[in-house]
Amino acid sequence: MQLMIPHPGHFPALKEIIEVKEAEGLNEVGEVFMGGSPEVMGSGRGVLHAPLIDEIKAQTEYAHQHGIKMHIVMNSTCTGAHHLTFEGYKMFKWYFNELNKADVDGVIVAEPYLVELLREFPMKTIVSVLSYVESPQRAKFFEELGADVLTVDTNINRHFDVLKAIVKAVNCEVKLIVNEGCLYRCPFRYSHYNLASHLSSLNQPRFPLFAPDFYYDKCINIRLRDPTQITKSGWIRPEDLKEYEAIGINTFKLSGRTKAVNWIIDCMRSYSHRSFKGNLLELLDCPQLLRDMFYMDNDKFDGAIEHWKKCRKVCGECGYCNELTKEALTIIK
Amino acid sequence: MKEELGASRRKLEGELRNLVGNIFVPEVKVFGMACGCVGYAADLRGLQSDDVDVFKAKINAILSELSKSVGVEPEFIYARKLPGSEEVVTLTARELCERCKREFAGSKASPRPDIVVLKKRR
Ligand SMILES: [Zn+2]
Repeated sequence: MQLMIPHPGHFPALKEIIEVKEAEGLNEVGEVFMGGSPEVMGSGRGVLHAPLIDEIKAQTEYAHQHGIKMHIVMNSTCTGAHHLTFEGYKMFKWYFNELNKADVDGVIVAEPYLVELLREFPMKTIVSVLSYVESPQRAKFFEELGADVLTVDTNINRHFDVLKAIVKAVNCEVKLIVNEGCLYRCPFRYSHYNLASHLSSLNQPRFPLFAPDFYYDKCINIRLRDPTQITKSGWIRPEDLKEYEAIGINTFKLSGRTKAVNWIIDCMRSYSHRSFKGNLLELLDCPQLLRDMFYMDNDKFDGAIEHWKKCRKVCGECGYCNELTKEALTIIK
Repeated sequence: MKEELGASRRKLEGELRNLVGNIFVPEVKVFGMACGCVGYAADLRGLQSDDVDVFKAKINAILSELSKSVGVEPEFIYARKLPGSEEVVTLTARELCERCKREFAGSKASPRPDIVVLKKRR
């Protein structure tokens, strides 16, 4: 198993993550990822740091000295077609070239055009979760465009038949995000990431927005009214990683590059040890806010993966997640 | 409390203007979080992270005094920058819950790149 760890972006955070990895012998940790320059492109998460190339180079060198690969996230889902202008094309090409000269190992992109553009560079092309790879057909398309790694859509994290088919269909590496708690088949997913992509770049939406967190607020409200939605999300417990290894998926990514360093380190420990005691919401990048509202006892989810592996996800006929939620979730007073 | 809050806004704005120049403090507030943290926060315009570096000791002293004036123990004082820039948009003094002592204030590094830690009680 190999873990890819979120890096908030400031150099001291990288040092602390690596220090813990080494001190505690967390040998599964092999890669980190951080946001690139918002002046070149936004991304699917808020960008809290805008590293210049020199800083990326210095951090990459440090990571390499410690046997860790460095990847840069450029997974905006909407550039406003900037990449299809000559100016945009030249800028992306220039930036990829600079990242390559800085010895960066891989670039995480969502836009198919950039997947193809990255073929010209030796860096790994890592297709983002925001390319929504949810079928063997789409996986194959992206592999043919030039993907070295596919981060598959978290919506299919519990669709084992589809995951197996994707692993079989492609030769490239298949990676899963384990601690994203987004709504299963979320109606806001595309709109939300398009908005986040604009807000985190220079390619800003029209201002003023009366509700810049509209989709997030909706998503939290849905789960408050129906906590079963938290159970139904595609998160993977540390204890259940082995089920994915059994079908040929060996690389896992933790989400959470906008979170506090020590939270990231705690998650890194839990997934490295494949074990966690306590409130499952402590592990989830989104919706972290609800960890002070609900307590979801991780132990109560022992064995649930056996159901999910064969579940047809026709919730109206099944009701398993409803029952499980009643048993595992309590409201924090 | 109403009087103290209003006075603290005026005082903070006045002190920062004396130190730096044209600073505007549109809002100060006392907050309580679900995790158990409580705090005193001031929204700001005009301040930059360089100013915070230069006047760190003075800003800490002012924030400590003002947060105490509204009943908040200033265990952890920090500035929040507008992501990816050097513009400081909030100064906060926070009395931490057990989890945030470890998770938010317990790392050697700043918890996030947009946070500049000004004071941490060990
Ligand atoms: Zn707290």
